[in-house]
Amino acid sequence: MTELQAGRASETLSAPRIETRSFRSRYRDILVALVAFAVLAALPFFFGSKALLDFVIRCSAFGLFATSLNLLVGYTGMISFGHGMFFGLGAYGFGLLMQRTGVPIPVAFVATLAITAVFAAIIGAICVRLKEIYFAFVTLAFQMLIHSTILTWASLTGGDQGLRGGIPRPVFLGIDLANHVHLYITSCALLVLGLLLMRQIAQSPFGYTLRMIRDNARRASFIGIDVWRAKLTIFVLAALFASTGGMVMALFVSGAYPEFAYWTISGEGIFINMLGGVTTFLGPMVGTVLLLILNDTVTRFTEYHGIVLGLVILFFAIGLRKGLMDYLLEWYAQRRDGRGERG
Amino acid sequence: MKRTRQPGISRRATLALMGAGAVTIAAPWVARAQAKTIKIGMPTILSGRVAQLGTSSRNAVLLEVEKVNAAGGLAGRQIEMVIRDSKGQPQEAARIARELVNTDGCEMLFDGEASSGSFAVHEVARDLGVLCIHTCSEASSLTADPKQHIPNAFRCVRQGIHDSIVGGSYAAAIAKTKGLKKWATCSPDYAYGRDTTGEFSLYLKRFAPDVEIISESWPKLFQPDYTEVVTKILQAKPQALYTCLWGGDLTSYIDQANIYALFTQMEVFAVNMADYTALTVVKNLPKGIHSGNRYIKTFPKTPENAAWGDAYRAKYNEYPTNWSWQNATAVMLLTEAVKKANSTDGKKVAEALRGLTIKCPFGADGTVTMRGEDNTLVGYAIGWGTTIPQEPYVPEVKAGDWKTIFELEAEWKKSKGYT
Repeated sequence: MTELQAGRASETLSAPRIETRSFRSRYRDILVALVAFAVLAALPFFFGSKALLDFVIRCSAFGLFATSLNLLVGYTGMISFGHGMFFGLGAYGFGLLMQRTGVPIPVAFVATLAITAVFAAIIGAICVRLKEIYFAFVTLAFQMLIHSTILTWASLTGGDQGLRGGIPRPVFLGIDLANHVHLYITSCALLVLGLLLMRQIAQSPFGYTLRMIRDNARRASFIGIDVWRAKLTIFVLAALFASTGGMVMALFVSGAYPEFAYWTISGEGIFINMLGGVTTFLGPMVGTVLLLILNDTVTRFTEYHGIVLGLVILFFAIGLRKGLMDYLLEWYAQRRDGRGERG
Repeated sequence: MKRTRQPGISRRATLALMGAGAVTIAAPWVARAQAKTIKIGMPTILSGRVAQLGTSSRNAVLLEVEKVNAAGGLAGRQIEMVIRDSKGQPQEAARIARELVNTDGCEMLFDGEASSGSFAVHEVARDLGVLCIHTCSEASSLTADPKQHIPNAFRCVRQGIHDSIVGGSYAAAIAKTKGLKKWATCSPDYAYGRDTTGEFSLYLKRFAPDVEIISESWPKLFQPDYTEVVTKILQAKPQALYTCLWGGDLTSYIDQANIYALFTQMEVFAVNMADYTALTVVKNLPKGIHSGNRYIKTFPKTPENAAWGDAYRAKYNEYPTNWSWQNATAVMLLTEAVKKANSTDGKKVAEALRGLTIKCPFGADGTVTMRGEDNTLVGYAIGWGTTIPQEPYVPEVKAGDWKTIFELEAEWKKSKGYT
């Protein structure tokens, strides 16, 4: 038997096992998502703190945004400095649709996703051909273009004062988003569903194609993968999740502001990924929780929060040289191996 | 020796976590239990390029609160200010405003945010129904637009439209006297710059119809280099220049324009010049720049205003800003409203604030009024004068006429579809 034949034989043998595993892990993911949603949904019944609910709503917005950025940075190796533009597009698209057209919330939600997809497809078609630093800077340029458009198109966007007058929230399917608890539950549902979908993308054959592109795009291209199409697809998909994050934020603040589409939002996304780690799926979510806790506690005590947050970045970048989840995972693996050797 | 401790969370750590959790959950109840003091929350900008907005607002509020507390507080309750930095981000401003009310137990809000942040806090006030006084945002639409109106939010700030009316009539008078027909404008490229310049031009042309704007420049906000703007204006050869650049942008512009001797070649009208933040920072302040008053202790020329400016300077070793007088006025108005309502209940205080006139060092006639129809401050000292390079910087200020302001403001509201 040649090596090739042997390889094929082992492939046929192991294929059903892999399938069963991925089938099982998919069900495990859904189960974890359901449990997480149940726990989050139960929180308001045990804790009366509105600040806690606000915190989780903000975590949903930034968590969706940061995890979607990780689909680009961690899984595909595309470091986008302009991902915040889709966060802003989501907030403005949703806010404007609700204020100007008065359509039901689900319609505005889907329409905003459609608008984002069109923008992302056009911008992505130009950007994803570029590599590394060029990709990063052209995405940043597009972000600044969108930000400038928001600032100057004052008759539509309200310019630097943002969308004023609040976002109307008509009741749909018995859900009243003007009610704090309803908004909280909806945000949690969007977060959990978003994370679950992103997890499925990451664990699918397409997700592994992305990893291959990240590790060696030329090799992927040689074995017949259309790298440009795969990159464009993930660019658009990531934009949709970032846009959903923007919509959650728009609902939370009942408005949309140019700062949502500014480069600092993209910077925060990258910082969150650095903090939480990019090699695990939940790294950005952990990073989001960490950053928001840090931000909320540090700003309570000092206005020199920039120094504190800077020191934290330095600690992770120079001290740990990786995100928290990456570090913990490595530490756990070492510990397990060490125990295995002793045993 | 091998360690016998099992991996996992230790008992001590568990207890510490439980304790921290209990404190977090109990915090709102503890806050409410200490109801003898009244907490007023204030999100503002304490870091970044416009940190002076927040610090000078905070200074003024604390200066006034100290006086109120020494006099017995608000209806017998001592005021405790809880002031936090929003970094100028609207989502942070909204988050902090909610946190101040929901977690820290603040019963009222002073919104020390500029521009978009103030609209974010306004939405929080709408949502939570808490009494809110805006103390920094000059955007006219915040209170002029009826869609924004909520009964529990007030604005204790000068307004862009008032400045434009007074500036337009003042500039037109000078244009007629000196025959200034060709004008140029140079203002920051964002909503405030474009709106204020548009309104100023409108009123300038209304009072002096033969005026023509021959050149417009829109430098970016926080632009470091103004060379191309300055040379563009010089090439256009206007007889007068209007600018609403402010703060560091205005001082950089003046320093750079001085190199080209721009100020000797045309009359300059800079609405935001007469504020100590700009006056004291410019290296060579040209004589004869026309400016609207922001805050100077010589206008209104009263002992009360001078004393307030001196007290502020003595306490903080710096001059007060335009934001300072506005925040101080907010405390004064609130104090009088609480006295009138004889209660610190937000709804009753809001009712008392509506239409309230108080004695105030910053009033055009010694009083200011919280106008009832749109919950906004009127009657404050507003005027224009020319600069000199040393104290008192703007020796003579020509006061604006509030009767004309009211008439033209009503017209403006109608044209915008606000009434």
